[in-house]
Amino acid sequence: MKKWLLRYAFHSVAILIVLIILIVLQSFRYENKSVIGTTISDFSLRNIDGKNLALKDYADAKGFIVIFTCNHCPFAKLYTKRLNELNTKYKALGVPLLAINSMDTLVYEDESYEKMQQRAKSQKFNFPYLYDNMQIVGKEFGADHTPHAYVIWKKNKQWTIEYSGAIDDNGAEPTKVTNAFVANAADELLGGKTVSMAETKSIGCAIFYRK
Amino acid sequence: MKKLILLAVSAVVLTCNLSAQTYNTLWIPDTMSGTTFNLNLVDTFAQFRTGNQTITAGVDNKFWGPTLFFNKGDTVHMNVHNGLNDSTTVHWHGMHLPAVMDGGPHQVIPPGTTWQPYWKVTNNAATYWYHPHLHEMTQEQLTKGIGGFIIVNDDEESALALPRTYGVDDIPLMLTSRRYDNSNAFVFTNTAYGDYMLTNGTPDAEVDLPKQYVRLRILNAEMERAYNIGFSDNRTFYIIGNDGGLLNAPVSVTRVILAVGERVEILVNLGNDNIGSTLDLKAYNNGQAFGFPGGEPGTSGEFGSLLNNIDFNLLHINVIAATNSPVIAVPSTLANNTYWTANNATVNRTVTVTGGNPGQPQNPFGFDNSHFEFNTINHTVNLNDIEKWTITNSNVFGHAFHIHDVQFKIVSRSTGSVGTHESGWKDVLYLPKNTSATFVAKFEDYSDSVHPFMYHCHFANHEDGGMMGQFVVTGGTTGVNEVDIASKDFTLYPNPANDRLYISFSDPSMQAYYVRITTVTGRTVYMLPRPQLQGGIDISNLTAGVYMLQLTDEKTKITTTRKFVKE
Ligand SMILES: [Cu+2]
Repeated sequence: MKKWLLRYAFHSVAILIVLIILIVLQSFRYENKSVIGTTISDFSLRNIDGKNLALKDYADAKGFIVIFTCNHCPFAKLYTKRLNELNTKYKALGVPLLAINSMDTLVYEDESYEKMQQRAKSQKFNFPYLYDNMQIVGKEFGADHTPHAYVIWKKNKQWTIEYSGAIDDNGAEPTKVTNAFVANAADELLGGKTVSMAETKSIGCAIFYRK
Repeated sequence: MKKLILLAVSAVVLTCNLSAQTYNTLWIPDTMSGTTFNLNLVDTFAQFRTGNQTITAGVDNKFWGPTLFFNKGDTVHMNVHNGLNDSTTVHWHGMHLPAVMDGGPHQVIPPGTTWQPYWKVTNNAATYWYHPHLHEMTQEQLTKGIGGFIIVNDDEESALALPRTYGVDDIPLMLTSRRYDNSNAFVFTNTAYGDYMLTNGTPDAEVDLPKQYVRLRILNAEMERAYNIGFSDNRTFYIIGNDGGLLNAPVSVTRVILAVGERVEILVNLGNDNIGSTLDLKAYNNGQAFGFPGGEPGTSGEFGSLLNNIDFNLLHINVIAATNSPVIAVPSTLANNTYWTANNATVNRTVTVTGGNPGQPQNPFGFDNSHFEFNTINHTVNLNDIEKWTITNSNVFGHAFHIHDVQFKIVSRSTGSVGTHESGWKDVLYLPKNTSATFVAKFEDYSDSVHPFMYHCHFANHEDGGMMGQFVVTGGTTGVNEVDIASKDFTLYPNPANDRLYISFSDPSMQAYYVRITTVTGRTVYMLPRPQLQGGIDISNLTAGVYMLQLTDEKTKITTTRKFVKE
């Protein structure tokens, strides 16, 4: 985190204009390397019903909406109803939703398996909520915040990431969403198209991975 | 390329649109008073812009937390619960207190932990603040909005005819700015300056103020930017207080520069303004020489910003009817401070700004050719000594020098005499480039050979980069010489315990320097610096289970662990 604090003085307007363009360009790029097209190996995680669940358990699935979320993050909590709606709509189309909690359960008491069960029950989750207590799946996806949404798709018998980022572009005011990133990605993939907005920035609470 | 040019043009258009001004009502932070303060730090979000919310953090769900009111002489007990997703610390900026209560980089509060410092308030009536101080994370956590004001009251200040109706004629003003990315998230890496003002967390703030003398308590809570503050009609206003107390007499000015961390209390007369008229409090930052923080000419990049090198609004003021008992004059005298002089000092120290030069990109700003090391004590001060510190900045840029534990008096500056506007008690001084400043301070009351206090540049990015040193104050009653190893034995009772846990020492003179309660898996739940153990430790909020109590002995600093069961 140490920064090199070199200072520049800008003398020419021309340099300034070039700089503005560069910065605008920068701000539309994402910090992380693209994960689109990355293959995801199958996993088996304990669901809140006590049973383990794997991707291969869904023989007919064309793809999955995978949401990394958690119990305590206020921004993640805003999406409960929308996750139920996404699962209702897309599960019927062969794209079920899986929620995964990859938070560090040693550090966060609120992220225990018991509290996941309580939360799923009180919020009437209609989708699996999986306990990634070893943080293996979160790491493989590269999930960095809760919520962090992925759409994965079956290609050549393998699961590849086709969308990564935010669920949509307005957390607190669902009626003001102008871009429903996950739903759009699923629609495009179901229509046989490539995802036009394949990567956005996930915002919320950081997921810290144990070393 | 066409798309890029379009984007650049639309950015310029957006900027121009800002001139069609609408305002939002200034947020006045909630208040907390008494002697016990529960501060719950949480991750949250706020609607600062059109579109998505911005992830923030703060006390009790607020970007910029409640204002804490302390009375001088009271002992205040803080229950700081870290409900954040990450570790933090909370520093009581400007407070004179034991190092172990100070909330510097060593008092790390892990997530889920409650930290319980307490101290007797001996500071003068003035405006202080609290903020995170976790090394290398200070900029991120400050950016997210963790912090708040502390207002200390005392008898001397209360006896004066000064405005003090909070939120009516006595207004706290926290000045800061933020940069957003295209998802409306705060940017806190590789950026020294924000592009948009947030006054008390309000974008484009306006406030109704009564037609009378009004007191503004202004804090620069920026990352790096300094503010050259004045009113839009260049009216005279009166500085009544600095960081650590009232001045002896008001000082009339039309501008005052406030660097990061500094506070100033001013009185402004709105008694001659018409009801319904407006006035702007502004930053006159246009045309400052290079080296003024925020004077760099760029509009973007790490050291550029849309607010750099321009004049911009801090607060839009609407004048409304006077209150029932308005203050209608500036008191001719305020406090009766007796300041230390250079002649009182028995120890002289020098601290020199180093690093950061162009052409040395791998050398961030530091002091005396070194950077912050967690286990390095840079200076050892004897308890009760009056010291003279000279801070020299023959470097490329201005800085804001802050020292913990003490309020100091600036006795000289290389630029000539000390400004009347900074003639009172200070804990931060603005150090322009190619200047030096000398202050005198007395290091009294609290000694601790283990836990250091900090001195550092208050620019968050400089501090995170290691522009910070440590000092301990030693001597007095808590020496480490008479070590009696046998005396560190203790037992916990009752065990199992339900409501309160008591500690019985084999040697009644033994004292606890630190108590930490953890779960068997190692998660810290309580951090209790120098706990007062007579009444036991309140464990009523713990869930049932087995816990470890680690007690560090005051004399030996040896830590011993005992198990207990909470029923
Ligand atoms: Cu600095």
